[in-house]
Amino acid sequence: MADVTLSPLHRADGSATFTSNGYSVVAAVNGPIEVQRRDELPEEAAIDVAIRPAAGVGGVRERHLESILQSTLRHVILVSAHPRTLIQVTLQIISSTEGSFNVGDLPQATSNLPILPALLQASILALLSTSIPLSMTLTATLVAVDGQRLKSDPSAEELKVASSIHVFAFSSHGNLLVVESEGEFGIETWEEAYQNARLACRGDEENDSESEDVSMDSDNDTKLEDVLRIAVRQKVAREQKWKLDLRSATT
Amino acid sequence: MATKTLVFPGDIISPEVLPIPTNPSLPLKLGPGLRHVPPSTITSTLAGPLCIDRKKNAIWVENNTGRYIPQPNDLIIATVHHSSTDIYHCSITPHTAFAQLPQLAFEGATKKTRPQLNSGSLIYARILSASKHTDPEIVCYNPSTGKSEGMGELKGGMLFDISMAMARRLLMHKQKADGGIALLEEIGGKVAFEIAVGRNGKVWVKSGGVNETLLVGRALQETDTQGLGIEEQVKVVRRLMRQV
Repeated sequence: MADVTLSPLHRADGSATFTSNGYSVVAAVNGPIEVQRRDELPEEAAIDVAIRPAAGVGGVRERHLESILQSTLRHVILVSAHPRTLIQVTLQIISSTEGSFNVGDLPQATSNLPILPALLQASILALLSTSIPLSMTLTATLVAVDGQRLKSDPSAEELKVASSIHVFAFSSHGNLLVVESEGEFGIETWEEAYQNARLACRGDEENDSESEDVSMDSDNDTKLEDVLRIAVRQKVAREQKWKLDLRSATT
Repeated sequence: MATKTLVFPGDIISPEVLPIPTNPSLPLKLGPGLRHVPPSTITSTLAGPLCIDRKKNAIWVENNTGRYIPQPNDLIIATVHHSSTDIYHCSITPHTAFAQLPQLAFEGATKKTRPQLNSGSLIYARILSASKHTDPEIVCYNPSTGKSEGMGELKGGMLFDISMAMARRLLMHKQKADGGIALLEEIGGKVAFEIAVGRNGKVWVKSGGVNETLLVGRALQETDTQGLGIEEQVKVVRRLMRQV
């Protein structure tokens, strides 16, 4: 479903790529580094988010996404651990489904939201790879509503005909962190979309407690939190290889 | 010291996992990656394996990647950036606040005989004080004995980048038994060289010629990036030796 690489860039302090549903994002994190005097906060780290689109230069839409990300990450990162510093998050969009729109469609006519879950996921993975102290992790997903039908991870065509689209992000404690919606919808539709997104991100929480290890193996409905866990587990296994070699050599 | 549970930011460390001290007066030590939330909750702030040392009553989350954060008593390799009246301003990691090295913080330095360091020179130093609210302070001598203990300017040689975990392994007391590093001994049997390891992920090597210096640096970097075991390290050293 989602494809994750941790630390692909060796010059950045930490980095990650996240590919899912036609969207691909590379995130690089540098920090804590020295901050410009005018951005300096005496009690906490400043967070700078820069988003670069797949083609062309960033505009209003990138600034809007940056502001959503910045205010989310501020609550996820333990900003008080590194006062008077800067944590710089750079996100490069590698590919998005926008390429499949018809020629002549104004870029303004397309929605800002579909790329947001990929940006959130890539930035949290890059922060994990940088060993920045966090208070929690997050998972994000997109839900499109077309009349009565709900569709998670919708394609470009499904997005075009959707009456409303919703982005949800949940923290690892199960709290709702980000919710952005667009289009016409009622509160019942939103509730349904919320349940749908929660299932995709956090899995079935009632059955989860008994069968945590079982759900890891079944990849037909992998929840997004597992994607993150598996990526980190693989990275740790790679780093700890020498320890295993050492233990097997001594015994 | 071997518990291999993986923790993630925000996970609460259950009290059953915490080590029970053999000596009740020994307080529990929280290492990097853990945070105490009053009154008695311990949560993790990093993703990685949870390590427990029952003898020292310590618990921490191991991490390898990311930027080096200065900690007191760490040995580091820094670059002199510029000097002011009685302080050298040194860079430990790029784009962070400069560390301050007093010009008299060398073995046997007095107002009249102090080492002249130009910008760009490398120094091997110990971190005297570091906190999140102040710039780090470093010294090139042991304040209690007044001896240099190998610290000071690093003249000649070459600097290589390694991961922070590799630097920790190289600085271990029993390098081969605990750190699983055999390549330095292996090379040392054939080529003479000097080496200085900085906790900030730098290693400085100096030997008779450029070829030998590069050999040591390459062997270290290869071992680091590929996570080689002891036997593989010996093989790498033999292969590189043939090229010299």
